[in-house]
Order: sequence, then structure tokens, then C-alpha cells
Amino acid sequence: MAAVMEAGSARAALVERLQHALDALEQGDEAGWRRELDTIAAWRTQPMMQGLGRLARELAQTLGELPPTHGAGDLDDACARLDHVVAMTEQASHKTLDLAEQCRELADQLKATTLSGEQTRVVDQIRAGLSEMALAQSYQDLTGQIIRRVAGIVRRVHEGFGELGLPPPEKKKDDGLAGPAVAGLDKNAFSQDDADDLLSGLGL
Amino acid sequence: MTANKNMRILIVDDFSTMRRIIKNLLNDLGYTNTAEADDGSSALTALAQGSFDFVVTDWNMPGMTGIELLKAIRADDRFKTLPVLMVTAEAKREQIIEAAQNGVNGYIIKPFTAQTLEEKLGKIFERLGAAA
Repeated sequence: MAAVMEAGSARAALVERLQHALDALEQGDEAGWRRELDTIAAWRTQPMMQGLGRLARELAQTLGELPPTHGAGDLDDACARLDHVVAMTEQASHKTLDLAEQCRELADQLKATTLSGEQTRVVDQIRAGLSEMALAQSYQDLTGQIIRRVAGIVRRVHEGFGELGLPPPEKKKDDGLAGPAVAGLDKNAFSQDDADDLLSGLGL
Repeated sequence: MTANKNMRILIVDDFSTMRRIIKNLLNDLGYTNTAEADDGSSALTALAQGSFDFVVTDWNMPGMTGIELLKAIRADDRFKTLPVLMVTAEAKREQIIEAAQNGVNGYIIKPFTAQTLEEKLGKIFERLGAAA
């Protein structure tokens, strides 16, 4: 019943606007009829714009629950952090792979010397274990790809919202923990040396 | 005080990989008597059950955080003198001060090296020895 009433009043409002637009058009009042038509158009797009605004806020909150950085929006910040994650895991994986390779060479050198049957068996096991370790590092490639893809989607969505000119999401109070420092983003992060200086100043 | 290599150490971190890395580093340094917990509350449960001599904890964990764990340890008569080493990615000045004010014994910022861990452990035992 309420819905019928609402539909009825919306219809009456529309008729009124259209009537005003027609009157303005007949009187040669271009600004007037344009204004009436813009109002009607705004009625149609307002729910969509509200929905998009809410979506943009939710996305920014979900992906941007990170400490703010200067000159970058939450989503840019989230993407930069994802990129950093990929770079860090990549670096760590490479180091693991390098060491596994060096150890395999050492195992090979051992095998080239005179070993007992038992020793040869152990060296073979070590070598196999090192190979498994190297293989397990492939996780970095796979997770890195997934992260890059997600970062790409977030960037495109962010650009899309930017083009719509939606109001910026309200800034949340920043009371959470900062988490790992990201080089180039977190300017006031402490190094171990800084922390040591501070702690010794505090008597630790 | 020379460090007793048989001391029982509780390693608290939500990431199993990090617990494993810390455990391996401690093993390399000769400390093989370790146990693990994945957040502050499970750490408190473990502390209440076993006689631990040392706690290595992360800060940012789901559930009970490391700083809350530190406060709970210092507030409990049974554990208030238990040495706590924080190993965390939290690198803000205010956080280091907060940890120090709540009675942390050492603070290591992740990522860290085996050498840093050895140094900080040595420093903590040295200070405890001097205080004893």
C-alpha cells in the first residue's frame, strides 16, 4: 500500500517536473527546461551513484585498512603494499634457491670423494631434500601472480571510481598497528639501530 | 648470568613459518627446549601449564596481541619477571616506547638476522645477570 502511494507521489512529481519543463520550453526559457530535465535525470541516477559511492567506500575500507601514506589514496597504498609483498617474497625465495643450489654443489663434491655405502645414501637424501626445498619455492611465483592480478583489478576499479568523481571516502581514525614497514611508503619507520638507540635511551 | 641452554622458551607468532624460523635459529644457538603458541591467549595457556624461562613474541596477531600478552605477563605475579623478547614488524617509535614502558626485555624488528637475535639474547641475559 505504502509502495503504491510512493509510486503515485513519484508519478505526480514527475508530471509536475515535466509540466514545468514544457512550460519553460514553450516560453523559450532554455535554462529553465534544461534545469527541469536535469532534475529528472538526477532522480534516475541518484540511487546508482549512492550505490557506487557505498561500494567505493567499502572497497577502500576493505583494501585500505592500512596506515595512510602521504599523497596516495588508500587503494593506491594497498596496491603498493601488494607489490612490495611480491618483491619481498621473491627476494627471499631467490636467496633460498641460491643456498639450496650451493648446498647441492657441496653434496656433489662430497659424492665425488670416497664414501661408504651408508654415507652415499645420506648424501643422496640430503640432495633430494634440497631439490624438494627448491621446488617448494615455486609457491612464490604462483602467489606473486595472484597478488599482481588482484592489484591490477583494484587499480582498474580505483581508476573507474576516480572517473566517476564520487565523493572521497571518509578517513577512518588511524588507531591500528602499522604492520611491516614498506620502503618508500612508511617514512617514519624505525630501523633496528634506531630502535636500539631509543631503547638504550629508555634504560634497556 | 650465563644463559642456560636448557631453558624452556615459548615462541609466539601467528605465522607458522616465522615460528619455525625462530625455532631453527634458537636451535642453532643451542636452545633446543622450545614450544610454540599462535597468539597471546594460547601463549598464556601454555605459560600457565609449563614452566617457561623465556618468551619470544610477535606483536600483531589475531586474537590477543603481543603487547596485550606482555601486559598480562607483567600483571601476573607468577610471570612478572619472565624475560620477554619482542620480535615484530612493528617499527614505529611509539610502539617501541609502549613495549619498553610495559616492561619488554628486548625488541627486534622483522626482518632480522640470526646475528641480531644472538646479540639481543646475549644482552638480555647480561642485564638479567647484572640485576640478579
